[in-house]
Amino acid sequence: MSPVSATYWGIPGYVIFWVLFVIAAGLFAKRIYFLFRLMRLGKQENRFDHMGQRIKNVLFVILPQWCTLRSVTKKDLAGIGHALLFWGFSCFLVSYIVFIGLAEGFGLYPWLMGNNFETVFSSILDIAGLCVMAAMIWAAIRRYIVRPERLELSVEAGVIMVLVFSLMVLHFGIEGFGLAGSGETTNWPPIGSVIANYLSSTGISKNTLITVSQGAWWLHYLVILGFTVYIPRSKHLHILASGANILFKPLASKVVLEPIPLEALEAMESEGSVDLGASKIQDFTWKDLLDLYACTVCGRCHVSCPAHVSGKTLSPKEVIHDLKEHLLEEGPGLLAGNAQATSESPAKTMIGDVIAEEDIWACTTCGACQEVCPVDIEHVRKIIKMRQNLVLAQNKMPESAQLMLRNMQTRGNPWAGAQSLRLRGDWTHDMGLKILGQYEGRVDTLFWVGCTGALIDRNVEATLSLTRVLKAAGVDFGVLGEAEPCCGDPARRAGYEFQFQISAEENIETFKNYNIKKIITSCPHCYNTLKNEYPRYGGDFFEVVHYTELLADLITRGKLKLTNKLNTLLTYHDPCYLSRYNEVFREPRQIIEGIPNAKFKEMERSKNTTFCCGGGGGHMWIEEQHGTTKINHVRMDEVIGTGAETVVTSCPYCLQMLEEGIEQKGVKDSLKAKDLAELVEEAMNQS
Amino acid sequence: MDNYKGVLVFGEIGDGKLTPITIELLGVGRKLADDLGEELSILLVGSKAGALAQEAIACGADNVYIAEDSLLDAYNSDAYTQTAANLCKKVLPSIMLFGHTDLGCDLSPRLNGRLGGGLSMECMTLSIDSATKALIATRPVFGGNAHATMMSKSARPQMATVRAKVFAPAERADGRQGKVIPVEDKLDASALKVKVVEKIKEQVEGVKLEDAEVVVSGGRGMGSAQEFTKLRELANVLGGAVGATRVACDEGWAAATLQVGQSGKVVSPKLYIAIGLSGAMAHIAGCLGSKYIVAINKDKEANIFNVAHFGIVGDWKEILPPLTAKFKELLSK
Amino acid sequence: MNIIVCVKQVLDPEIPPAKFKIDPETKQVIPPPGVPPVISVYDERAVEAACRLKDKLKGKITVISVGSDKAADVIKHAISMGADEGFVLCDPAFENLDSFGTAYVLSKAIQKIGAYDLVLCGRQAADWGAGQVGSILAEILAIPVITLACDIEGVDTNVRVKRIVSDGYEIVEAPLPSLVTVSSEIGLPRLPAGVRLMMARKKVIPVWKAQDIGAEASQLDKGNAHTEITGLSVPTRKIECEIITGATPGEAAANLASKLANLI
Repeated sequence: MSPVSATYWGIPGYVIFWVLFVIAAGLFAKRIYFLFRLMRLGKQENRFDHMGQRIKNVLFVILPQWCTLRSVTKKDLAGIGHALLFWGFSCFLVSYIVFIGLAEGFGLYPWLMGNNFETVFSSILDIAGLCVMAAMIWAAIRRYIVRPERLELSVEAGVIMVLVFSLMVLHFGIEGFGLAGSGETTNWPPIGSVIANYLSSTGISKNTLITVSQGAWWLHYLVILGFTVYIPRSKHLHILASGANILFKPLASKVVLEPIPLEALEAMESEGSVDLGASKIQDFTWKDLLDLYACTVCGRCHVSCPAHVSGKTLSPKEVIHDLKEHLLEEGPGLLAGNAQATSESPAKTMIGDVIAEEDIWACTTCGACQEVCPVDIEHVRKIIKMRQNLVLAQNKMPESAQLMLRNMQTRGNPWAGAQSLRLRGDWTHDMGLKILGQYEGRVDTLFWVGCTGALIDRNVEATLSLTRVLKAAGVDFGVLGEAEPCCGDPARRAGYEFQFQISAEENIETFKNYNIKKIITSCPHCYNTLKNEYPRYGGDFFEVVHYTELLADLITRGKLKLTNKLNTLLTYHDPCYLSRYNEVFREPRQIIEGIPNAKFKEMERSKNTTFCCGGGGGHMWIEEQHGTTKINHVRMDEVIGTGAETVVTSCPYCLQMLEEGIEQKGVKDSLKAKDLAELVEEAMNQS
Repeated sequence: MDNYKGVLVFGEIGDGKLTPITIELLGVGRKLADDLGEELSILLVGSKAGALAQEAIACGADNVYIAEDSLLDAYNSDAYTQTAANLCKKVLPSIMLFGHTDLGCDLSPRLNGRLGGGLSMECMTLSIDSATKALIATRPVFGGNAHATMMSKSARPQMATVRAKVFAPAERADGRQGKVIPVEDKLDASALKVKVVEKIKEQVEGVKLEDAEVVVSGGRGMGSAQEFTKLRELANVLGGAVGATRVACDEGWAAATLQVGQSGKVVSPKLYIAIGLSGAMAHIAGCLGSKYIVAINKDKEANIFNVAHFGIVGDWKEILPPLTAKFKELLSK
Repeated sequence: MNIIVCVKQVLDPEIPPAKFKIDPETKQVIPPPGVPPVISVYDERAVEAACRLKDKLKGKITVISVGSDKAADVIKHAISMGADEGFVLCDPAFENLDSFGTAYVLSKAIQKIGAYDLVLCGRQAADWGAGQVGSILAEILAIPVITLACDIEGVDTNVRVKRIVSDGYEIVEAPLPSLVTVSSEIGLPRLPAGVRLMMARKKVIPVWKAQDIGAEASQLDKGNAHTEITGLSVPTRKIECEIITGATPGEAAANLASKLANLI
């Protein structure tokens, strides 16, 4: 007899079933509707393009649990636990719909239960249940006995673990007592039958067994409903939100920054209130707010963040968590239409009270947080949007940032002033180059050198190496020489969006005028900007390649031959904007592997999970928080750990940061930093 | 133009004495006057001016104009401009010299505007063109990157301001004779528009920057206000003063009055120790007159090494403490 | 409140020192290639001072600059910081003027603009640095002048200025209209932010010629210049920096101290 068809204190079971269900569903729906409305407070953003592709992403990422398995390392196996939990619990979710919802709730049990289907399904559930229990025990050990840094103790986590674990216990209880009570002797499902056989052997009366089974069923049902009500009110909201978050994740590039529309500006100007970037929670887009729901505070971003690792107060996890708390706090007031009241006398300011300004400036925009985030939260652009507000609306920024931005605005590059002893075009002297504007013929391909490669002595050496390599390989290209300005990247990362916009528009105009079809970049920051960000401003008529891609291709096609033996142990430091932002990490390795006799040792943090040199996001110029470890020192320790004699990289910022690290760590005699172009030139047959 | 004759110095009085720059102006003024074969005069203002007339004569002045008016006791640009302009219109000096001081920098351009003369500020050399008898002045331009030679073909008076310690002080001769001439014109009080309401003295620890024989300066490389205070220790050991770059002042690590450079103070001590500063031209312009410049910087390419006599390439944090200790040891002997 | 700010476009003072070149014949500096001219640092601070007053008291800021047609860039820079409008004073007759000539042209433009409460200038230009245009301009306009301001504390019928002197500060007052020259101690100028940057970029800056402001040719005659640059040279300083070394930084420091102790 099914628990629902029984009568309790004169009330039919199914009535109790549905009343409880309606209460729980109501509470669930109320909360979800509330959260949905909060999310809608955010600004508009179109993430509904390529829906087919998006749905495919979700299926291919979530079902096989690639989202968490991809971050499994020797030191952190938690992803496997999550996968077990996910698959196990998914089975239970189906069982709740089939056996509780359809069978009991709608009385379809005659068709669904007591047959082979039930036996097979229950057997699967038994195994799933064991998996889930194992995952829960593992999770409990990791929280209460050996807690890794990324996890923090929370009541919520404890509640959920107890709830999930009790669901499994109750499942086996219902099954065991039920089977024993029915008097059947069977070997299926495996766990349930073992329990049942044991119970039968104790001689407990069948009625007691059935009563206990039914009691357990109702308790189970209550826990499921409780779970349903609790989830959207806890950090485990991620169970519901992360699917959506992965569905709406950015497709084209990893950090999507929206242009600020000029019409909006003019309106603001005429109203006299300039509010740009994000100063209030509702200044973010709905997708930014959805991100907050999707976070389950797993802390992977926390331990990957170079700012956090080097002792700064910034933690991407805290940023997301604090913003979520802030949204939940401010949201009801905003929804009630008290927008004015709250903005005039806000309980807390988002920038300042919720997120410290210092933290906003500590980010190097390296994207390590986003790369490891299992649910594709976009941390970096939130930080940049807050920087935008500080810079564009409040004129508040560290002095070092202001000096850099001022240079970009008045001098066209971030290095001007006492920092550079060169002029932009100096490096082109005596190189026999086709300088656009001076050269008469036509050139399709532009070598875009970048500010650092043209102005800073050490980087100019790398630029010259690359130039010679390109010429030796017969690549036909032109350069802009002294007329080449900044691509705008440092301005954009530091929140000075309009300066970026101006740079982008002017540069695209230049490319158009010279009819450029292809651009070779040496700086990964220029590469990312030209390739992924210029198309939004009309710069979509040229191909952009990083020189590592080009050299790898030239080697493959036999245009470039690496024949000189280099008896040395190398390691390669992946630049974030190349390997992580743009997934170019095979080509540099292909080039290095092609060098005769060179030995290669990989660092643990490499390829798309590389560790920042400390120079991204404007941090070549913005000072690091005082009293903290320098990020390049952290990385240098990892480089030294490989025992390599040469650390190779392919980014001018990284090269500078690594050299500074070598100098300051006092390992100048045993370790050199080189640009990959310099290494290629050494290995190249020079006739 | 030919009516303009002689050299007139605008004298400054401090603590009841002629200030050192005034004596230097009398020195160079005497030389210019002798080259022209004309007289050297000085204008002294304020109620105590008369007492210093003989001193000025001893220092080379042929004529001392005394404007004794209590309205002139403290510097007031309108009152001083009026007094000086009235005198100039009467005595028609060919050359007029000022110290490149707070007073000279404020007064000389204003007076020049009123008289329509030709003014060169911050002059490093002054001489007389033998052919035209005009004043030739050189002054730094482009933040000290270049020196320009200035002349006034027809505008008179030819005016110049001069930095302290550029010229040798006048030689005193107590028996010298000269005329003391009171300035009779009374001030027109209604024309005094600018009023000094309050003076706030910034307390400077130790020796005054402009007077110091040794200056220890720090820049951006010092890193913080706390680190910056470590310069004071070395300055104390050497009996010197602390200076700072614009960046260090902007950051609030040092008072604005300690800024050395084109827009701050120009110093010419015996020893200038530059620590953690790269040596932007605008800063260097403020210390180039130093006898010895010493640079301590971790960047061997830093511009400061281009003007320094001695240098150490390294992190100042590892160098400053032993340097201070060694000086203490050497100077205690 | 109406504020007029006079600004100058100069060769970027932050070019690498080794790239500073002059032509002794023409007594001019040869700008290095690819280096855009900038607003003179002190003038930028005068614009900042004006913007701070406008933030507090409302009003209008007009910016004028004597220079080439490129000077529109510095006007746009000032507008992007917060100024309302600006004019370039460009005429062949305005080239290479001395301080009197520049002040005369500015005074004619100011008279054309009309009513004003304050005129602000930088303490000196970052190029030739004559340091007199402000004072001469005040003299021509017959208004009081306060030099070397590090703060403009208040404006009512008087302007109250904190000015920098060698041993501290002075608070000075003068009745409006007045002219104030601004020193760098006023603090960093604001970064041209947001909306204004984009709007200023599109603005067309009117150019006034000599006849537009009624400037008389006799006043601009170079033959009547009050001062003339008769020579320009780059000072050569033949100094070979002696790098003091030692086995440790401490030893190098001790060697340096010993060396210096003998010299002073």
